[in-house]
Amino acid sequence: MNEQLARRQFLKQLAAASTAAMMASEPRLLRAAEDAAITHPEPTADACILIWMAGGMAAPDNFDPKHYEPFQVGLPVEKVVSTFPAIDTAVDNIKIAEGLEGIASVMDRATLVRSHVLPDLGHILHSRHQYHWHTGYVPPQTVACPHIGAWIARVLGPRNPVMPAFINIGQRLEGVGENEEIKAFTTAGFFGSEFGPMNLPYPEEAAAAVRPPKGMEPGRFENRYKFFRKLVDKSPQRDYLSDYHQESMLRSLENAYRLLGSKERAAFDISLEPKESYEKYDTGRFGQGCLLARRLVENGARFVEVTTEYIPFIHWDTHKDGHTTVDRLHKEIDRPITQLILDLEARGLLDRTLVVVASEFSRDMILEGVPGSNAQDQATFKVDTLQEMTHYGLHRHFTGGSSVLMFGGGTKKGFLYGETAPERPCLAIKDPVNVDDLHATMFTAMGISPQTAFDVERRPFYATEDGKGRSVSALFG
Amino acid sequence: MNQNAKLLSLLISSLLFVDAASCEEIDFAHDIVPILRAHCAKCHSGDKKQGGLSLDTRELLLAGGESGEVVVPGASSQSLLFERITTKDDDLRMPPEGEPLPGDEIERIKRWIDAGIAWEPGFALTKGSYEPPLAHRRPELPSAIDGREHPIDRIIDQYFTDFAVPRPAPVSDGVFLRRVSVDVNGLLPDPETYRDFMADANPDKRTAFVRDLLANDVSYAEHWLTFWNDLLRNDYTGTGFITGGRQQITGWLYDALLHNKPYDQFTRELIAPPPEASGFISGIRWRGNVSASQMQEIQFAQNVSQAFLGINMKCASCHDSFIDRWTLEETYGLAAIYATTPLTLHRCDKPLDQTATPAWMFPELGQVDSKAEQPERLKQLAALLTHADNGRFARTIVNRIWNRLMGRGIVHPVDAMHTEPWSADLLDYLAIHLRDNGFDLKKTIELICTSQIYQAQTPPVDQPQEAGRYVFRGPLARRMTAEQFVDAVWQITDAAPTKYDAQVLRFKQQPNHSSQPLTAQWIWSHATGSGPTPAGETITLRHKFELPSLPAQAVGVITCDNSYRMYLNGKHIASDDNWESVEAMSLLPKLRTGENTLLIEAKNGGSAPNPAGLIFEATLRFADDTTQSIASDGSWQWTAKALNARGVWKEEPDDWQPAEPVANPGIWSGRVGAELASRLNAAANSPLLMVRASLVKSDGLMRALGRPNRDQIVTSRPSELTTLEAIDLANGQTLSDAIQHGAQQRLSSESHSGEELMSWLCRYALSREPTSDELRLATEFLGTEPKHQAVEDLLWSVLMLPEFQLIR
Repeated sequence: MNEQLARRQFLKQLAAASTAAMMASEPRLLRAAEDAAITHPEPTADACILIWMAGGMAAPDNFDPKHYEPFQVGLPVEKVVSTFPAIDTAVDNIKIAEGLEGIASVMDRATLVRSHVLPDLGHILHSRHQYHWHTGYVPPQTVACPHIGAWIARVLGPRNPVMPAFINIGQRLEGVGENEEIKAFTTAGFFGSEFGPMNLPYPEEAAAAVRPPKGMEPGRFENRYKFFRKLVDKSPQRDYLSDYHQESMLRSLENAYRLLGSKERAAFDISLEPKESYEKYDTGRFGQGCLLARRLVENGARFVEVTTEYIPFIHWDTHKDGHTTVDRLHKEIDRPITQLILDLEARGLLDRTLVVVASEFSRDMILEGVPGSNAQDQATFKVDTLQEMTHYGLHRHFTGGSSVLMFGGGTKKGFLYGETAPERPCLAIKDPVNVDDLHATMFTAMGISPQTAFDVERRPFYATEDGKGRSVSALFG
Repeated sequence: MNQNAKLLSLLISSLLFVDAASCEEIDFAHDIVPILRAHCAKCHSGDKKQGGLSLDTRELLLAGGESGEVVVPGASSQSLLFERITTKDDDLRMPPEGEPLPGDEIERIKRWIDAGIAWEPGFALTKGSYEPPLAHRRPELPSAIDGREHPIDRIIDQYFTDFAVPRPAPVSDGVFLRRVSVDVNGLLPDPETYRDFMADANPDKRTAFVRDLLANDVSYAEHWLTFWNDLLRNDYTGTGFITGGRQQITGWLYDALLHNKPYDQFTRELIAPPPEASGFISGIRWRGNVSASQMQEIQFAQNVSQAFLGINMKCASCHDSFIDRWTLEETYGLAAIYATTPLTLHRCDKPLDQTATPAWMFPELGQVDSKAEQPERLKQLAALLTHADNGRFARTIVNRIWNRLMGRGIVHPVDAMHTEPWSADLLDYLAIHLRDNGFDLKKTIELICTSQIYQAQTPPVDQPQEAGRYVFRGPLARRMTAEQFVDAVWQITDAAPTKYDAQVLRFKQQPNHSSQPLTAQWIWSHATGSGPTPAGETITLRHKFELPSLPAQAVGVITCDNSYRMYLNGKHIASDDNWESVEAMSLLPKLRTGENTLLIEAKNGGSAPNPAGLIFEATLRFADDTTQSIASDGSWQWTAKALNARGVWKEEPDDWQPAEPVANPGIWSGRVGAELASRLNAAANSPLLMVRASLVKSDGLMRALGRPNRDQIVTSRPSELTTLEAIDLANGQTLSDAIQHGAQQRLSSESHSGEELMSWLCRYALSREPTSDELRLATEFLGTEPKHQAVEDLLWSVLMLPEFQLIR
C-alpha cells in the first residue's frame, strides 16, 4: 500500500473515531476561522527519530568542546571548561569532543545547533525540564500536555497503518527514580491513549510486545481470534453492530490482531538483524534501541524516541565522576548513532527521516542554571581544586547553552548554527533557539504548522506554546 | 547594549516565559480584545448591531455593515473601521461618545488589521446569552403518562412528548441487573445473584435490588472512590509525592464514602479541612518556579470552582475568560481566600499593580470577610458554597452523577455548568431532591436507578450527534472504566491481588461489638512508666516479626499516653496525640513476606512527671483462615535514639533494650480497654473481601485502559478502546496471567464441560443465558474434555466481547 493510500484509509477510520470523540467532548482540531484554516507546511520528513540523552548532556564534553585541561591533582576547577580535547570532524569549521570519532565522520550529513537555550525553572529538576522539552510546556499545567510524539501521531497518524505512530524505546516507567514524573509526559495527555506511546523499555524484548502472549503458538493465537469473531457474529446483541462504540472497539481489536500477525512484526525483533550489522549497533541497550528504531522506521514508524534512559544520578546525570562516566557514554552512543545515520542513508531514508539528538540541558563544572540563577547547587562534591578523579567532570546543571544535533529530513548537511561563548559562562551568544522554536522546527519538517491548535475545555491549546514557536528556517536547504 | 548583554537579557526574558517577540507582534487576546470590549461592544455586539455591524465574531466583522465592508485584512488604509476611529470629524468618529481612542490603541488596531486580523479560535465578543440560575427551583412535575409515576419519568415523558422522541423500550431483568450492579457498586452480579434475581417474582425487585446495592457500604465506597479520586485528584502515587509537595486524602475520603457523609458536609470538610483532608485544597507544591497560574493559591481557585461548581477558571487564571463570564479578579479573589500572604494579580504571568481581595463569585449568597484569618475565611467559603440556596452546588453534583449513570450530562460537558441544560426541569428537580434529602448522594443514585428511563434500552448510536442542540433519546452505552474492567476480570478469574495500596480499613465499625480482651500489654521503657515519668520522655519501640506469606487481612489498634508515630517497614502508618482516642488501621499495604519491622516513637506529654504507656495489637488473618497476633509485650525493644521527621534513623541505634510491661495498666485500660478490644475484634472479623482495583496503584494494564495520572482533576475517561490498548489486551502479561489463573479455577471446579463453562461464563460476565449458537460454538471449541489452553481462550474471547466491555 502506498503511503497516500494508507493515510487516506487511516483518516477514514479516524473519521469514525473522531465522530465518537466529538460526542465525548474530546479535543477537536481548531481552525482560526472558516477562511483562515491552518495551513500546514510542505513536509520535508516523513518520520522522526528523537535520540534522547537523558539526564543533561554536557555540551562542552560532547558537541561544543571548549578549553580543555587534563586531570591533574591540585588544578583549580575554574580552569577546566571541557574534560575532553577537541577532535576534527568531516566538516572544517566543526570540532567535537574526543570519543565521538564516529559521529565526527558523519558530521558532513549533520546540522549542529550549539545555541539551544532552556529556561531556568528555579530548582533545576530533570523531570520538570524533560517534561518541558517533550511537551513544550513547563509543568505544572492545568491540562495533561501531550508529548511531541503524540502531537505528530495525532496530526499525521501512522505512516503504515499497522505500525503504531509513536514508539518510545529504552525508558522504564516502573522501578526507576522519578518514574511518576516521567510518566507525566510520556503520554498523549488530553489527546487520549490512541495517540500515546507504545513503550518498549528493553529493545531485546520489543518482539514480545507484538507477539502473541508468551507460550501461545501462532496457530492458537489465530484460532482464538477466529473463535472470538464467531462469538461476535453470533452475539444476540447483533442490533448493536452498527453502533460506533462497538464498531470502534472491534476495529481496534482487529488492528491489534493484524499487527500481531503482520510481517511488520518482524521489525520489532532485533535478533533477526544480520549478525554483522547487529554487532555494529550493540553497545548495550541504547545501541540496540538505535537498531530497533532503524528497523521500525524502515517499516513505516512515524515517530520513534530512543533514550539512554533517565535514572537519577546515572548515565548523563553526572553529579560526580563526570569525565569517566561521559567517556563510557561516548562508547555507548558513538557507534550506534553513526551506524544509524549510515544505514538510513544507505537505504535512501535519511533524506526523509529527521534525526534529532538532544538533552534537557547542558552541564558545567561550576555554574548551576545560568549566571545569577537562584537555583540550588546540586553537585555532590564541591571542590575548588581537583583532588581525585571523581571531582573531574561537569557536575552542575547548565541551562544557558546546549547542543542539538540533527540529521536528514531536509536539514542542511555539514552546517553549524549558533554559538556559545568561548569561555565560562558558555552562554549562547548567537542565534539562540529555545524549545518552542526547536519544536516548531521539528513540526515544520514533519509538515505540521506550529500554530496547530486543539480545543481543550473550550480553550485553544497549541502545538507550540500559544502558537508562538517559529521554525528556524536557516537549518533547512 | 552589546550583543552579549542583549542576548543575556533575551535569555532572561525567555526564562520569565515572556515571549520576546510579543513586543512586535499583535496578540489578539491581550492587545485587541480589551479595546473591542471597552469601545465597540456596547453598540456592535450581541443584539446591538448599530449600522448593521456586529463585532461578535471574525466572520461578522468581515461581513461588514450597512455601509459595506468595514475591514480589509492586511490593509488598514483601506479599512473603513480604521478610518472611522482616526477621523477628525466628530460626527463620524467612533466611538461616537467620549474621547477618541488613545494613540497606542489606534496603533494596535492598525497593526492588527495590517497583520491580517488574527482572531482567537472560537472567540466571540458576546458571551453566551444563557446565564444559569443560582437559586434552587422546584419544578412542577407534569402528570404521569401511562402510569409512570416516578418523578424523573414524569419529566422525561413530557420531554419526549414535547420533542416527539419515541420512548425507548425497557430492558430485560438481566440487562438491568448487570447495568445497575456495575454502575452502583462497580461489580458484576455473580451467578448466584443472577439466578436469584431472575427467579424472584416480586414486581418491586428492581427497586429492592438498587437499595440492596446501596446498602453495601464497602462495595459502594470502593467503587465511587474511583470517581472521587479523579474529581479530587487524589492518588496513592504520582507527581509531587516524591518531594513531599502533595498529600493524599485517601483515609478521609474512604471513610466519608463508607459512611455516606452528606455531600454538603463532605464539601465543607474539603474546603475547611481537618489535617487528613487538607490534601485537596493544598494542591501540588512544585519545587522551583511555577507560572502564576499554577501557584497553590490559584490551583485552589481552579480546583474548588471546577469540582464543586462546574466552573472552569483555568482561562480566568491568566486573563478575563473569553468563553464565559469569569474574570481574572474573581479567580484571584477566590485564591486569596486560601492565601496566607498578600496575593498580587498576574495577567499572563506579568504582575499587575493590584492585590487580590478575598472574595467569592456569588456575593448574592453572602460574602467572605476579607479581613478574617485564613481558617475563618475557608469556613465562610465552605458555608457559602454549601448554602441551602446555592442551587448551582447541588446541580453540579447531580449532573455529574446523571452523566455517570446515563452516559451524558443534562448539562454537557459536566465541567461547563454555565451551559444550558437540555431539561432544566430535570436538573432542578434532581438538585432540589438532593437538598430535600439532606445531601444524601445515595438517594440521588437510588432516584435515578429506580426510574424507567434508567431502565430503558440504550439505542445504537451510528450517527454522530449533530452539533447544536442535543436531544435526549435515552441512556447511552458506556465503556467500563479501567477499574470496572479489572474488577470484573478479577471476579471471573479469581485473580485479584491480596495486597492493596490505599491505607484504609475495609469495613464499617459497628458499635457495641462484643469482643474478647486484648492480649497485648501496656509497655514502656521501664515498668514504672505507669508511675510518674518525666514529661517529654521519648523512646522508640521496635518489634520485628516474620511472615511466611502475606495475610489476606491485617488490622491493628493502638493508643499511647501521650503521643506516638508508627512506621511499618519504614512507611508511616499512624500517629496521634490523644491517648483517649483509639486508632484502628490496616497494616496490609505495608506488610511484606519475610522480616517486617515495626517502629513506634512514643512520647510522654505534660509539663510535670506523669504516667506513660503504649499498647498495640494486630490480628493477621491468612487465606486459610489461620491467624497470627502481634501484640506489645516484654519481647519488644526500645532505644532512646530518635527517628527524624520522616521516620528514618538519624543514626542507627545499637543500644536496644527490652521494653517492660508497666506496673499499673489499669489507669488506662479502664477507660479505653473495651474500645481497643471492640475495634480490633470488629476489624479482624470483618469479611474477607476481594481487593478492588480502586485500592491499588495504577499498573500498565489500567493505565492502558485509561486510568489517568491524577495530577489534574479528571472528569471523563476515554470512551474508545484504542489499538494500543487492544494490543495490551491481546498479549499483555497482566491480563494473560489473570486468565491463566481463571482457567485453572474453572477446571478445578466440578462442572466444566464446554456447555457448563459457557453457561457459567455467560451468566457471570454477561448476566444472561447463552444462546444455542453460543453453546454449540463453545462445545466445538472446547471439545468434550476442555484443555487448559482452550478454557483460557474461551475466557479471553468472552472478556473481549463489546457486550462485556460496555455497560449497556
